[in-house]
Amino acid sequence: MTIMPSNSPVKTHYNHLRLLCLSLAFCLLLIVPFLNKYLHFSFIQGWFQSLSIGHLWFVSPLEGIESILTSKKLYGPLLIGMLGPVLLASLLGRVFCSWICPISFLSEITDRCIRLFSRKRYRKQHSPMPKSMLWFALLGEIVLTLIIGAPIFVFLSPPGLVGREIMMATLFHTLALEGMIIVAVFLLHLASRRFFCRYLCPLGALLGIIGIKRRLLVVKDAETCIQCGLCQRACPLGLDPAINETLSPYCWNCGECIDSCKVKALRFTWKGPCQSAPISGLQDITHQSQKMHLGTGEKAQL
Amino acid sequence: MKKSIQEETGQTDRLAKGSTSRRRLLKGLFAALLAGDTMVNSLFCHAENGLSSPVRTNILRPPGAVPEEIFPAKCIRCGRCVEVCPYEAIVPRDIRNGIYAGTPLIDVTKIPCYLCMKCVEVCPTGTLSRISQTETRMGLAVIDKHSCVTWNQELALCRTCYNVCPFKEKAIKLDQLRPVVIEEYCTGCGLCTHGCPITRKDGNKAINIEPIYAFKPVKW
Repeated sequence: MTIMPSNSPVKTHYNHLRLLCLSLAFCLLLIVPFLNKYLHFSFIQGWFQSLSIGHLWFVSPLEGIESILTSKKLYGPLLIGMLGPVLLASLLGRVFCSWICPISFLSEITDRCIRLFSRKRYRKQHSPMPKSMLWFALLGEIVLTLIIGAPIFVFLSPPGLVGREIMMATLFHTLALEGMIIVAVFLLHLASRRFFCRYLCPLGALLGIIGIKRRLLVVKDAETCIQCGLCQRACPLGLDPAINETLSPYCWNCGECIDSCKVKALRFTWKGPCQSAPISGLQDITHQSQKMHLGTGEKAQL
Repeated sequence: MKKSIQEETGQTDRLAKGSTSRRRLLKGLFAALLAGDTMVNSLFCHAENGLSSPVRTNILRPPGAVPEEIFPAKCIRCGRCVEVCPYEAIVPRDIRNGIYAGTPLIDVTKIPCYLCMKCVEVCPTGTLSRISQTETRMGLAVIDKHSCVTWNQELALCRTCYNVCPFKEKAIKLDQLRPVVIEEYCTGCGLCTHGCPITRKDGNKAINIEPIYAFKPVKW
């Protein structure tokens, strides 16, 4: 494992970078239908279900897999289109979710608005369900798809729906009824932070599975960490970097915890191809969590 | 002896009670199912049950579409054919069409297909296979000889369908000044339907596109 120097002079603000990236991705969704409709400019086309930039095509892996499973046919361009996102997820993990997804953009904006009005820096973390719910959401979704014989996530996926609604509004000046799902996801987010992303998003689950052996990881420097618990409160997924939960497949590499850390104990690390995964055993995690629970009381004031 | 009989009767009582409560539970479940069913039905009021295809006379799939049996499975509803269509002829359907939600359709009475073949180029899943203009078979134009003014009146000399057809003299010919569709060459683009000046009481025209190729059986 390569470790970058911890006393780097300029601290990167991943939150700003991420917001910029999310905004650009959202602007793409907003602008592309206009270009297609009024200028007949079809160089860039589509949204995050399938995006084409010239002859470069991207297809969302979950949608592609569902299509292949239900139609039992392989199609070259579809497989090639899925290659890009799969490669991205296998190297960087669920970065689509945290850095590109329009639902993430809307959630971040709301979180920032809430932060403006409430004095608290972070919203309270609820965990109404176990995190493993995410895998069951993916499994259930695929089983349901196979029962019905039509891919379900393709027309009910919130990230895709945002794109479709923008397209419908631009091209036909109307909205599709299934846009209510976006409203539902949004209300769930207001009730419990990132509820859909944490427990229900099949696409996130698939990208998480693809990214199990990802190269980019948020790694904690055990010596610098003072177990203050700030990163746990910052994490949009409710993970706890202090007990190395960032190494689990759930982490989407957003960098929120890195920005929140006052002592710079967390950083992005690029894991080389031949090095073994730095995931320490389960006992280590539980041991550290006990240590953390002992320590949170005094250090929470930080 | 007495005691045992009493016990037995008690047991049968309990059994009866159990069965009634079970019956009530089953009844409740059945009622809930019915309620759910009616709710789903009212939601999918557009199509009959959300599982039947919305393709019918004059409402067609874009060029090169795979048969209806496999269409909802293969299409990922990415909307790129909708976005690329310069005539805005392709319109996606919403959730009221059940599993066909989000799939592209062309209502040729509103905007017909001008066979620019841009949609077949962009489909990422092969749901619209890459075919040429002449290979396109969206349906077959069928003339309603009772409504067509040229067919049912001797004097009217309307030949709009013949004039607008992109494969004039191939797909539509004039037989003693009356239009005749040649099945071999008709692409089903719907230009004739869109141009036809006669609208029947049911909203269809005197020449309509029947999606006869959409319901071919599929080899899985």
